[in-house]
Amino acid sequence: MNDVDTVKVKRNLTALVEFSRVINSSLDLQFILNNILLTCMGKFFATKGLIGLNMNGRIIVRSSKGINEKILDSFPDITSDDDLDNNYSFTQFLNVNKIRAVEKISSSNDLVGIVCLGEKLNKSPYSDDDLEFLRTIINISASAIQNSIVLFELKRVNRVLDNRIHRLNSLFELSKEFGLISEKSTTTKLLVYSIIGQLLISKFAVVLSDGIDKHILESKFLESDLLDALTNVKIAEIESPVDKINLIKKYNRLYELKIELIVPMQLHGETKGLILLGKRVNHSDYTESDIEFIYSVGSLAIISLENRRLFNEALEKQKMEEELEIARDIQKNLLPHSIPQYKKFDIAAYNITSKQVGGDFYDIIPLNDSSFCIAIADVSGKGVPAALLTANLQAFLKIICKHGMSLSEATELINDLVTDNTMDGKFITFFWGVLDEDVLTFNYVNAGHNPPLLIRKNKIIKLDKGGIILGVMKTFTPYESPTISLEKDDMIIFFTDGVTEAMDKNGIEFSDEKLEELSLQSSALNASEIIEKIRSSVAEFAAGTVQSDDITLMVVKVK
Amino acid sequence: MAEFSTSVADKGEVSTIYLKGFLDAHTAPMLENTFSGLIDNGKYSIVVNFKELAYISSAGLGVFMAFIEKIRENSGDIKLSTMSDKVYNIFDLLGFPLLYEIFKTEDEAINKFKETKKLES
Repeated sequence: MNDVDTVKVKRNLTALVEFSRVINSSLDLQFILNNILLTCMGKFFATKGLIGLNMNGRIIVRSSKGINEKILDSFPDITSDDDLDNNYSFTQFLNVNKIRAVEKISSSNDLVGIVCLGEKLNKSPYSDDDLEFLRTIINISASAIQNSIVLFELKRVNRVLDNRIHRLNSLFELSKEFGLISEKSTTTKLLVYSIIGQLLISKFAVVLSDGIDKHILESKFLESDLLDALTNVKIAEIESPVDKINLIKKYNRLYELKIELIVPMQLHGETKGLILLGKRVNHSDYTESDIEFIYSVGSLAIISLENRRLFNEALEKQKMEEELEIARDIQKNLLPHSIPQYKKFDIAAYNITSKQVGGDFYDIIPLNDSSFCIAIADVSGKGVPAALLTANLQAFLKIICKHGMSLSEATELINDLVTDNTMDGKFITFFWGVLDEDVLTFNYVNAGHNPPLLIRKNKIIKLDKGGIILGVMKTFTPYESPTISLEKDDMIIFFTDGVTEAMDKNGIEFSDEKLEELSLQSSALNASEIIEKIRSSVAEFAAGTVQSDDITLMVVKVK
Repeated sequence: MAEFSTSVADKGEVSTIYLKGFLDAHTAPMLENTFSGLIDNGKYSIVVNFKELAYISSAGLGVFMAFIEKIRENSGDIKLSTMSDKVYNIFDLLGFPLLYEIFKTEDEAINKFKETKKLES
């Protein structure tokens, strides 16, 4: 070996040792590939080179020098199993681009990649020595390349896992938060914040359906536009996520609003609402796992929203029941606790309130030793408002009876008072009169109440004289107040519409005719017997139905 | 319950929001109120200082997405600063660095606003 050769070998060895040190001190794949190419190109005076790596079976160019992008794009689609020496498209690529040296990078059993080098600057072919050197370089770097690929892959997997963990943490946190019964607006906020924060979205909307109407809980789109675009969309029919392609096909109007994904919010397999999302701000598409995340968050939120709704409903119901209880108490206290008895009159009364508590009212107010006032009324509406108006009416009556006014004047005054004190179209049907034992007369006024029936000798006289119903407008024509003389065995039946309008299972009303017929048949009975007869007939008629209105009955029989 | 608080300091035309503690689903509405308050007062140049923030969840990140568009429409911006590695990793994981400028210090973030203003004027 001559001196020149020795120097050459030494230089080669030094270069190899240096190369090995550099390559193996790094785990940065790009740095390693870059170094291999530069070292080889420098050594062989090659003007271009590329390294392709085996990525899941396909050879992909991962680093190149001196080759423009157009040529890189034309790199053939080859797999790690291909016989590269006899692959037509590959050899073609090499020839066209004057790539003269190709060596495989191999690990113990797999193809890691290939190194390709272009023509030497002096156009001389690669010698055996050159190729030997190239193989040495590749052998030295193979494990470094493989390590860095593994590291790269690990990092990628790690990031995917981190992302998964982050999503799971978010879900866990949200499930805790949604578990508390929070306000609807809070739940919605958390729902959208979690989604837009996780996936980088700036346009979104949440729409709920109660089966009939659509409610927008949150929207970054113009609400009117959104509702418009949702007009023909049946929320319950969207059972799985709708991606961009299907949006264009089926819900183009929503797509025109720049909505690119719809994810249903489902409870027990039923779609209760929709999450509508615009495109991601970083322009990447929604992946399956993104959609899965959105779906999970949506499911958590809908449970919370539904719980809130049920809770509110229960609360509302409880409030209503309490209110009804109050109304029932008020009403009970307004009705006379006992019926006063008179020498000439046999009196009985009956009242039963419906579940909702209507506004039936009756009273018997003694005026002096021989006369008393009898009143029956039905206040429109139900519950507490009706009970309060009834209480007002009773107070007016009690006061007015003490002033010795004529019935007509008194009714006028009551009507004016009630009109002043009621709003929103409430009114009272009212009948009252004064019965006098000494002279056996009945002086009455009927202000729009169901006419009481006076039964005399198997004939019915309807007590319907009077005037306008109470509370609708101030009195403008005086109330008529006829006085009728009573005879022995006369019977007056006072009632409210709860009696005649009681319905049977088929929705048919008890009717005035039936009550009149029954009254005629009962003329021989005493007051409480008559009431019992009517009561039981109505009860029998309405058997199996829920009583929807108060029922009040009063009977005065002349002894 | 994890503690969280925000405070705001105005430095010239730039407002800095200081975050402290745990920003999660539960505390996100507090930060939302802080942002709303600034926007209501016409303050669109906002730096968020994360120095004392221990944790941020998706819901917390969502608050930043919810306001950025409106702020940028009003030629403002939200710039982020002084994140711990742990907090930065979450922002990075979800791709926030593509959309938001993140600075090592609050001053750098404030200066960026000033430079942009100078260029515009």
